[in-house]
Amino acid sequence: MRVRFKMDGGLVYIPERSEPVTLDTDDLPEEEAEELERLIEAAGFFGLPETSPPPRGAADGFRYTISVTSSGRSHTVHLADPIEDTNIQALVEYLEAKAR
Amino acid sequence: MRKQPGHRHSIFCILPPHVLREIARTGAEEERQAALDTLAADSTFRTLRAIRQAAPVATASPATVTLAAVAGTGDAKQLQRTIFDCDHTRRLPGETVRTEGAQAADIPAVDEAFDGLGATYDFYWETLRRNSIDDQGMPLNGHVHYGNRYNNAFWDGQRMIFGDGDGVLFNRFTIAIDIMGHELTHGVTEKEAQLIYQDQSGALNESMSDVFGSLVKQYQNDNQAAEDADWLIGEGIWVDPDRGGALRSMKDPGTAFEGDQQPGHMNDYLNTIDDNGGVHINSGIPNKAFYLAATEMGGYAGAKAGPIWYAALRDPRLKPDASFVQFARLTVINAEILFPGGQEQQIVQDAWTEVGVDIRV
Repeated sequence: MRVRFKMDGGLVYIPERSEPVTLDTDDLPEEEAEELERLIEAAGFFGLPETSPPPRGAADGFRYTISVTSSGRSHTVHLADPIEDTNIQALVEYLEAKAR
Repeated sequence: MRKQPGHRHSIFCILPPHVLREIARTGAEEERQAALDTLAADSTFRTLRAIRQAAPVATASPATVTLAAVAGTGDAKQLQRTIFDCDHTRRLPGETVRTEGAQAADIPAVDEAFDGLGATYDFYWETLRRNSIDDQGMPLNGHVHYGNRYNNAFWDGQRMIFGDGDGVLFNRFTIAIDIMGHELTHGVTEKEAQLIYQDQSGALNESMSDVFGSLVKQYQNDNQAAEDADWLIGEGIWVDPDRGGALRSMKDPGTAFEGDQQPGHMNDYLNTIDDNGGVHINSGIPNKAFYLAATEMGGYAGAKAGPIWYAALRDPRLKPDASFVQFARLTVINAEILFPGGQEQQIVQDAWTEVGVDIRV
């Protein structure tokens, strides 16, 4: 499974913060690979709508683009702060920590 | 209908603002113009009343006008703050930890957010006679300890949300009062002009938040004079001072931190896909224009430049997709309305020219 994670937006624009990060479960330690796969699964990732826009009037929030390729299928999702679903929150927090 | 002398559209004068705005949007051409004229006059008069109440000295004088503390003008303050603790999760709203009238929580993030919301409310009330974000006493809610080492603060359309920073890149976001003023001003902008958060209108939206966020800070510093202010947004946010001193500089865009890409002139306008078309980047240009106008006028920027920008923000001719030029034009027009015959109009025009925004009024 390959996961590409890119952040955008935020109160201040910092170029390196916008650089995408790619994780490949083949390259991760087994525990981490399982954790990532579990998070993707729990978030119902492949069933998520492609775009979830931020609420009306929102500003300075982060936007997240997550692309996952796994077992021949591929899906990209665009999310924005504040994320409401706790499972998606967990996935984003995990990926954001990796990107730091 | 008999026309009263001095009133071109007397029947429009008795209509409340929200009805006038609707007519301005949807009426026949003549009706639309009448509604727009009335709204423009009404906005201006409300702002003028605020200025005159606070500074009885004639505003036509080019001398520095310092706003005195307003006393006995009738208190319509409706400050109602609530702070919530998200406990390092992204779950909202979180637990209520401080309410209006309650004593301090002795938790920095909580008390700073509480104080910052209050300072922003007070600034808008004292300087511009605006009663909270919606001018109708809207409750102010702040949510702190959002997320796990979350390097950001934002406005979600209804409330302010603050991260703690990761302690490597950033400190907690409640540490800078102008950040709180910045976020709340997004609510004001959304209420007034709905500037679309993309490209130039988005950069204007961002700039509005930096302008009024800075004014909150200067108001807190006892109506600090523009020439004495630092014009930095988010001072103290960076953990490593070598990385940066602030998030943005209005005085010198592009110098706030290592990697700051803000331009200070249209020649350096950044066309990008990132950041909604660079809304936090290109805001440097209108930011600089405000800084130039305010320092040229001198004294507390909330006396003249602030009200001019505020009048332009509330001008019904300011459209959600406004460009820099369109907004600039409205600041010049409103400078003349607020300070007829004064130097302010030329100062504003010169400021925009200096950042490369060409106005032909």
